[in-house]
Amino acid sequence: MTTNTHTQTTPWYFNPMTILVTGCLIAIVNFGIRSTFGLFTLPISVDHQWPREVFSWAVALQNLVWGIGTPIAGMLADRYGSARVLMAGAVMYALGVIGMNYSNTGLVLDFTAGLLVGLGVAFSSFSIVMAALGRLVPPEKRSWAFGLATASGSMGQALFIWPVGQTISSYGWHTSLIALAAMALVIIPLSLPLLIQNTNKSATVKGETVMTMSQAIGVAFAHPSYLLLVAGFFVCGFQLAFITVHFPPYLAEHGISKEVAWLAMLMIGLFNVVGAYMSGIIGGKMVKRVPLSAIYFARAALYTIYILTPISVTSTLIFAACIGFLWLSTVPLTMGLVTVMFGTRYMATLYGFVFLSHQIGSFLGVWLGGKFYDIYGNYDQVWWMSVGLGVFAGLVHLPIRELRAKAFAAA
Amino acid sequence: MNFHGHKFALGFFGAVFVVWVVVMVLLMRNAALPAEATGTMLAVFDPKVSDTEALRIIGAAQGKIFKQSGLSFAWIVTADEPGLAGRLKSNGALGAYRELPISPALAGCFAVVDTKVEAIFH
Repeated sequence: MTTNTHTQTTPWYFNPMTILVTGCLIAIVNFGIRSTFGLFTLPISVDHQWPREVFSWAVALQNLVWGIGTPIAGMLADRYGSARVLMAGAVMYALGVIGMNYSNTGLVLDFTAGLLVGLGVAFSSFSIVMAALGRLVPPEKRSWAFGLATASGSMGQALFIWPVGQTISSYGWHTSLIALAAMALVIIPLSLPLLIQNTNKSATVKGETVMTMSQAIGVAFAHPSYLLLVAGFFVCGFQLAFITVHFPPYLAEHGISKEVAWLAMLMIGLFNVVGAYMSGIIGGKMVKRVPLSAIYFARAALYTIYILTPISVTSTLIFAACIGFLWLSTVPLTMGLVTVMFGTRYMATLYGFVFLSHQIGSFLGVWLGGKFYDIYGNYDQVWWMSVGLGVFAGLVHLPIRELRAKAFAAA
Repeated sequence: MNFHGHKFALGFFGAVFVVWVVVMVLLMRNAALPAEATGTMLAVFDPKVSDTEALRIIGAAQGKIFKQSGLSFAWIVTADEPGLAGRLKSNGALGAYRELPISPALAGCFAVVDTKVEAIFH
């Protein structure tokens, strides 16, 4: 292992600010498109005379593929550069979305909406963008940039729903999918400034240790603090996926109207933007493990208060605002910790594995929510499980050593 | 990197929001139903219009409330006679649109389209 110094003059289109803007736009498009798939359930199912499970299964598959695809995309990004991976992701994303128009059987839909879109989302995801930003932005601005990129993804979720809903309503779902596929292709030109970040030929950031990818993965998985981070992010996925999927029916069972449920989910989305950005700022000013731990403890406290008090419109909206604030606020801090421990050279890969743990947690949160509901007729067990896991995650983040791992320290 | 982070973020999000508003205005203009349209539709009013005034306009347009939209300035209305969209507009509504396929499901980190949500709310 040796230390490589790397200097480069940059034209304007490789300026960090240009890259930051295009990177954030990629995050908006990537998150925005996938957030609209719920709107297609009804029209596609009705047109094909499918039970809703057909579409639901394809989207569930998409989320699993996204999780599995993220470390793979990360490895490719760390080897061949983020721009190329983002471009490949955009193509897969567009092909998957346009392919949904021609999916006349459930199996074909699994291939297009499930596999292709899942890979497309993973390869063009904001974690790839953030890894690139991590290398290009000065260390003192890094956490802020992570917060900005995460907030952009959150904003994309909120911004795409209404126009896409309107497009489906006015022009039909076929036309809407064509428009979304075209939007996915916009990621290609937006990725061009990131070509500077091409890490092929082992061009590493100044002062960082050079080692092979397999060495880096091996060192990370032998590093206790990394394992604690992986365990903690599992909880994040579990808690959020449970709320995402099971919160609206939970509200309906407690007599909360569809409109309030919709408003609650909207508030989660909007407060998420603020929370993600704030978390990036906080992560840049203090040790990251403490606010990260506090987020999980706060989530556990929020869940406890909410389920122990009578469910009302007011309590629901306050809960939605608070949980929205804490929603993706874990991301800039988690990514920041990966960078602190291992530097930026293999950031996309190593964050990819952390994110895979998140998606496994998500899958279990959704699945156990439904399973326990079928057994007990309510969500109480899973709410309390979320509380327990929140406390667990709060505790496991505290002993994380916020230092560069020994093998990654520059010689 | 020589810029102030928060100003940059505010400018970026502000610019994105402005573009979004422009796109929405264009979309809504094209999405407005023609005057002769009838059936079930979304009647949109000026947000300053009171519920009483909105109900008066719907009544004057010979429409009936189908259901609430959840937004005070938008009502889902219906009529059998042709021309409901035109009558709503001439009586003071901002416009009439097809109902949006929005449901209270957020596609977060795990965007599963839940059949239970659909079954409960639709």
